[in-house]
Amino acid sequence: MYISYNWLQDYIKLSPKHDYNEVANKLTYHTVEVEATKNQKDIFSKVVVGKVLEVSKHPNADKLSLVSVDIKERILKIVCGAPNVASGQMVPVALDGAILPGDFEIKTSKIRGELSEGMICAEDELGLGFEHSGIMVLNEKAKVGEDFSDYLKMDDVILEIDNKSLSNRPDLLNHYGIARELSVLLNATLKPLDKIVNGKNEIKFNEKDKFKVEVLDKEACPRYMAIKIDNIKIGPSPDWLKERLVAINQRPVNNIVDIANYVMFELGQPLHTFDAAYVDKIEVRKALNNEKVETIDKKERQLCSDDLVITNGEKIIAIAGVMGSAESQISDKSTALVLESANFSAGVVRKTAQRLSLRSEASLRYEKSLDPNLTEVALRRFVALLNEVCPDAKIIGTGVDIYSNKHVEKKIKLNYSWLTAKIGQEIPKKEALKSLRELGFICEEGDDDEIEVVVPSWRATKDIKEKEDVVEEVLRIYGYDNIKSSLPKEELSLPIDNQERLLERKIKDMLYSQFLLTEVYNYSFVGEEQLKKLNIDYFNHLKIANPLSELNSMLRQSLVPGLFSNIKNNQSKSDDLSFFEVGNVFFNLPGEYVKNVSGEKKLPYQEKRLGVILAGKNKEVFSQLKNITSNLLTWLFNLDNDVVYLNFDNHPGWADEKLVAQVSVAGKSIGWLGLGSSDVKKNLNLKMETAVLEINCNSLFSLLLEQAPFKIKEAVKYPPVTRDLSFVLPDKILYNDIKDVLISFHPLIKSVELFDTYKGNKLPSDKKSLAFHLVYQSEEKTLTSNEVDKIQKELVEKIVEKFGAQLRDF
Amino acid sequence: MKSKLQNLKDEILEKINEIKSEADVKEIELRYFSRKGEISEIMHSLKDLSLELRKEFGVLANKTKKELEEAFSKVKNNFSNDENCENLDITLPGVAMKRGHLHPITIIQREVEDLFTGLGFSIISGPELESDYFNFTALNMPPLHPARDMQDTFYVTNGKDDNEELDMVMRTHTSPVQIRAMQKYGAPLKAIIPGRCFRNEATDARHEHTFYQFEGLMVGENINFSNLKNLLEIVGIKLFGPETKLRMRPKFFPFVEPGNNGEYTCFLCNGKGCKVCKQTGWLEIVGAGLIHPNVLRAGGIDPEKYSGLAFGFGLTRLAMLKYGVNDTRLFNSGDLKFLQQF
Repeated sequence: MYISYNWLQDYIKLSPKHDYNEVANKLTYHTVEVEATKNQKDIFSKVVVGKVLEVSKHPNADKLSLVSVDIKERILKIVCGAPNVASGQMVPVALDGAILPGDFEIKTSKIRGELSEGMICAEDELGLGFEHSGIMVLNEKAKVGEDFSDYLKMDDVILEIDNKSLSNRPDLLNHYGIARELSVLLNATLKPLDKIVNGKNEIKFNEKDKFKVEVLDKEACPRYMAIKIDNIKIGPSPDWLKERLVAINQRPVNNIVDIANYVMFELGQPLHTFDAAYVDKIEVRKALNNEKVETIDKKERQLCSDDLVITNGEKIIAIAGVMGSAESQISDKSTALVLESANFSAGVVRKTAQRLSLRSEASLRYEKSLDPNLTEVALRRFVALLNEVCPDAKIIGTGVDIYSNKHVEKKIKLNYSWLTAKIGQEIPKKEALKSLRELGFICEEGDDDEIEVVVPSWRATKDIKEKEDVVEEVLRIYGYDNIKSSLPKEELSLPIDNQERLLERKIKDMLYSQFLLTEVYNYSFVGEEQLKKLNIDYFNHLKIANPLSELNSMLRQSLVPGLFSNIKNNQSKSDDLSFFEVGNVFFNLPGEYVKNVSGEKKLPYQEKRLGVILAGKNKEVFSQLKNITSNLLTWLFNLDNDVVYLNFDNHPGWADEKLVAQVSVAGKSIGWLGLGSSDVKKNLNLKMETAVLEINCNSLFSLLLEQAPFKIKEAVKYPPVTRDLSFVLPDKILYNDIKDVLISFHPLIKSVELFDTYKGNKLPSDKKSLAFHLVYQSEEKTLTSNEVDKIQKELVEKIVEKFGAQLRDF
Repeated sequence: MKSKLQNLKDEILEKINEIKSEADVKEIELRYFSRKGEISEIMHSLKDLSLELRKEFGVLANKTKKELEEAFSKVKNNFSNDENCENLDITLPGVAMKRGHLHPITIIQREVEDLFTGLGFSIISGPELESDYFNFTALNMPPLHPARDMQDTFYVTNGKDDNEELDMVMRTHTSPVQIRAMQKYGAPLKAIIPGRCFRNEATDARHEHTFYQFEGLMVGENINFSNLKNLLEIVGIKLFGPETKLRMRPKFFPFVEPGNNGEYTCFLCNGKGCKVCKQTGWLEIVGAGLIHPNVLRAGGIDPEKYSGLAFGFGLTRLAMLKYGVNDTRLFNSGDLKFLQQF
């Protein structure tokens, strides 16, 4: 929203010491942030007044002319397309470097081979109206070479406020509201509303008039006022009115529409004017499903039964609070009008505006819950301005006022000591009450320190509801910066135990400092194309209903797609890459979190995962990743070696079907690990081999937390005996099979460690060799060679028999 | 056998004399002295000899082996770092080693977590895929509330049911966890909630649909605005240095009343004015306020008995300011050149 500094001064006296910066600061520190203050002159920087000297035909284009324009400093050559350009005219000229409304930058260039050193502007190009049939011709007051802004006598300063930051303050979306706020902040006198409305003409209002208004949905339309005015003459607005609108970035249309807009920006009440030729009566009702209307912007809108509409008994003439119909709008030929000043339900207007993606200045205000008392003030103000602009205009009959849902005074009781306790500091009561009263609250002091405040109607619709809201009023006027800070007084209490977070930290620390991986954060979103390339089934993914693009249309069920992208995007930067991510994945299944208080519905299942990817020249990366996995888990669990890799059939689509394994620890499967398949390599144009690990952190954390507290192992008094054993085995025998037999063969075998594997030309092609260190140890005595030999002999026999193994000699 | 041994000895001694580099050392070690090296091979072959020969050669072989090992170890030491130190060019650089990296958001998040755990706060978390109820309604933004416009939202669907009510969102802030925490733990409560948030907006250097926030809340019997101010001052000092000042102004957030924005003196220019703070000397960092009574009620806490304060920072923004990152997309880009710098 734009606020004109000049306009504000219609309502408050600002002394010269109040410069606009101070005004902006006051608003920012007590009410709402003023995002920028701009000199209005800057809007037309590098636009000057020029005099057309000569006009000749463009040699290469029928519709263009070559024009020489005197701008005092020098004479410019400009190519101009306007049919009305003629020598002797005074015209606005945008020079090289000028930036016109809509961020349109003017540059010296050649147009069809002829140099053009600027642009002679039409009204619409300057944001001054909608006229585009020809260039704007200035009046006799124009001086060659002067700034266009000087010609327009622009001397205003514009304050910019973000509409979104006024979500709670419908009363501030207009000049009078801002002025009211400033009158409190600057101790300035505010011109009373009735003086502005200027009640020269006494308008009477009745529920019934010759002009019939019927409100069928009173809930959606708490108040509807209308008045019929005859004998109007459509034409351009007077300069002062145009200037006001231009200053706040609104294009003037015609006198009637401009007055209606002016009142909205002055008081905050949207008004709508219909051509009376189309409107004999008014009916306010809900639309029928699939009912259609063409709105002023020439678009056909399809409505539904949630939408509130205004009809003339037959046709829809407006979507209530959003936009009027094209047919019923004021046109050059209109001679009579019907003015609507109504209050519509915020929710209804919002729903419609949202569904139709049609946000107008009117809907913006209605959505925030307007004061129903405002309709009458605004209507009277419109009539007063109309009398000024169109003195012949004549009111027909009386005004209509159907006020079904009368504003009820809102009272809030509170103890003043409660208020200061919330602030944490004494604020003199007198001062606080003075501020409240100036803001329009009526304050009654009761017994003890009780006070009762009556909320002004313009604040009572949504903004001020509870005593906490009153605290804010007192506090913000007093100034947040005037509050002294003090530490909370509280009793010590034990923080909530969150071991998972500590574990996550520990794991990240190990991954980056011990295994030298780089942490990434990838998006939670994936796309169909991306998953197809990875052979991942995407039919059961949760979807974003309103995605930014296909790439971000689904919720990830795995960290792997993101990790593959990391390799693809970085493969030119290094020969070996290694990344990890800890992040959440989302499934189309009910999870643990509830959706609402009743707890019947659950949110989808969400799981924290750890993903690791390695990329390198050859398939070695698979073993490297296995090393990382084994060591990470062994260290975390503080066990000798309980990490097990298992075959599994239902492996992920991106993995090489031979080099993929389930990762199991403490007897539970917690994830998987695999080599990126050759398909994936091809689909993603990867130049490297990849290996990926994905672990379910929820499972991992709970296993870790279930573990018995760590205790050291006491040293055994008797020395261990270490023996090495190496077997030649058929390929199909797995390490897991052998290891299980070795470790469980005899209680004196304390550990089994694989130290070598071999496959190659010293062995038949279908054989491999595995070599183990076996540690024998007794807690009761020193083992003799014989004892160990005996056990080992039996062990070897068993392995040979069970697996068709051969003992390999060193 | 004897000559074979002698030949091998000569060969090895010659090779040892020719050693010029550490690589040569390794090569000889592997070829002759390793477990499967030629010396071991000869020693191994002794077992095929008759007992007498084995005795005779055994002694000789062992003696030769010992001599060779001594000769080798002398030269080997010359090429090991230890011995070479005397002639070492001490200005030589160390050899670069590979290292790993934590993500900058992780680093900054830990800094914040440590600050607050030090003040006795708990660290808690909640779901990134949230219900409309917890993300909006429970935070005093019922359906059709205009404040919902302040946060462009991704709605989530199961994609199966055409008439499905869109009651799930990617959380637009960490605040829904406030409600979950109040419901679960009640009052008093003192916690921070760091995490990933989402807004439906097109990305460019200054906008990202995925970003990181953290939220703090404190609920107790006597929590007041003055406490909030003090807490925010401490946070500023901890994060930006001891000279940091706080400036507050009103700002509407539906879940707090009163609500405010907090600006800190720009730590880059010490408040003098620079490009980053747009010459104002201040950085807008925090949104905060006293928890709205409706929010306390939604959390099952009686606003007549308890009050609370809440505040939220952008972790992404903190990281950008702190590390001079000008493009917010870098954080989720997985760009090695960026990540390697942390």
